[in-house]
Amino acid sequence: MSESPDAASGFALWVGVSANQVVVGVSGELDVATAPDLERLVGALIERGHTEVVLDLADLGFLDSSGLEVVAHLSARLRRRGAVLKARGLSERTRRILTLSAMGGLVEVEPPDPAALPPRSEQPTSSDPTTADAAPADRAVWLARVTALPAEGDAIDAALELVTALVHATVAGADGVSVSVPRHGRLTTVAATDETIAQMDRDQYATGQGPCLAAADEGHRFHIDSLAEEVRWPDFVPRALDGGIGSILSTPLLAAAGPVGALNIYSRTARAFGPPEMSLAALFATQASRIVAGAGVDGTSEAAANRLQDALRRREVIAQAQGVLMARHNVSAEAAYASLRRSSTRADIPLRDQATATVASTQLPAPSTGSTP
Amino acid sequence: MNQPTHVLEQGRRDLGLSHGELWFRYFELGGMSTALEVEAYLYGALIPTTHDGDLIATALNERSSELGGDHPIPYSDGG
Repeated sequence: MSESPDAASGFALWVGVSANQVVVGVSGELDVATAPDLERLVGALIERGHTEVVLDLADLGFLDSSGLEVVAHLSARLRRRGAVLKARGLSERTRRILTLSAMGGLVEVEPPDPAALPPRSEQPTSSDPTTADAAPADRAVWLARVTALPAEGDAIDAALELVTALVHATVAGADGVSVSVPRHGRLTTVAATDETIAQMDRDQYATGQGPCLAAADEGHRFHIDSLAEEVRWPDFVPRALDGGIGSILSTPLLAAAGPVGALNIYSRTARAFGPPEMSLAALFATQASRIVAGAGVDGTSEAAANRLQDALRRREVIAQAQGVLMARHNVSAEAAYASLRRSSTRADIPLRDQATATVASTQLPAPSTGSTP
Repeated sequence: MNQPTHVLEQGRRDLGLSHGELWFRYFELGGMSTALEVEAYLYGALIPTTHDGDLIATALNERSSELGGDHPIPYSDGG
């Protein structure tokens, strides 16, 4: 299974869906390694019935013959449906390559549509070709703006909402889609295409079972091909069957430190998802992972919360040690602290360890039962 | 007698701690000043109490120990 975006070439795909067209942005290098991802994504959009497809190539860094071949394939597929592949944001170089390869006629070059997209000048990370590999958070905001999602509310949640909508629009057989990420230490659904799907996620959290939890926990894909035949997760599966679900595909969101959630695709029919759907899900899961990791809604804020708790515990121990020394030597709080610090310097150990030792020194050994005083 | 505050700021830079990270370590040691106040101590815009100055020195010296160094920042009592 190929992964996208590709870190080495800065390759990334993103998608904006509006009422009458789909815009697919390509950044980085479109070559033999990455062209199949574009073909799979746009091919799936065409299969889903989208015929107004626009390639936004403003951030395209490099285009080789396999990239050209994919553009030609896609153009041909759209032509068979009576539509034309459109492109915009072409650099002079890309335009020249298309002309030289006699492909100029296969692609209709259109100017940016100001109604469909924000002016690129508002997008410093997109307008500068040297920063094609933009920060994920910037990309997330851009995604959110493309679809004119409400400006209020959390931009990250809006971007994840968009990812669920895109998966819904792209993946064949997807009747509902959700994204789950840990918030406040618990897996939470931050985006779902409808209430039935949100309820399916909640049923998994409530039973502590299901592919969403497993994917977010173990960091690999979990697939229920047919719920009626599924033997794993016996508490959750009957609830999903009651909800009219036939198959589920949960793909982990992965960050450097490990899994940071799951992208869940639900279908009313059994055996809805095969290899093409799985690799598309992986593409979108990568995009969602970047949004989540860039926003720090995953381990980053959890780690900060844990560190703060550790700090508070350490402060507590230091305060206790101060109290012990104040009582023992009948000195002020600050004199007690200075004494603690001098001891830690002499012993060459951190002050918190010295404090722990001081507090421990006051504790009597546990009384042993059965002995007489 | 307090450490001259520029000694603290120089120590922070030498030890590669951000202002935020230094404040966190100071807070962990029981410090009560805000991050902004600690930054102001280092720039000499506010004068720390003897105790606060020693807490910042402790945070810096512990960082130095972590990096395998000695305790380069003096304390108010010379200890």
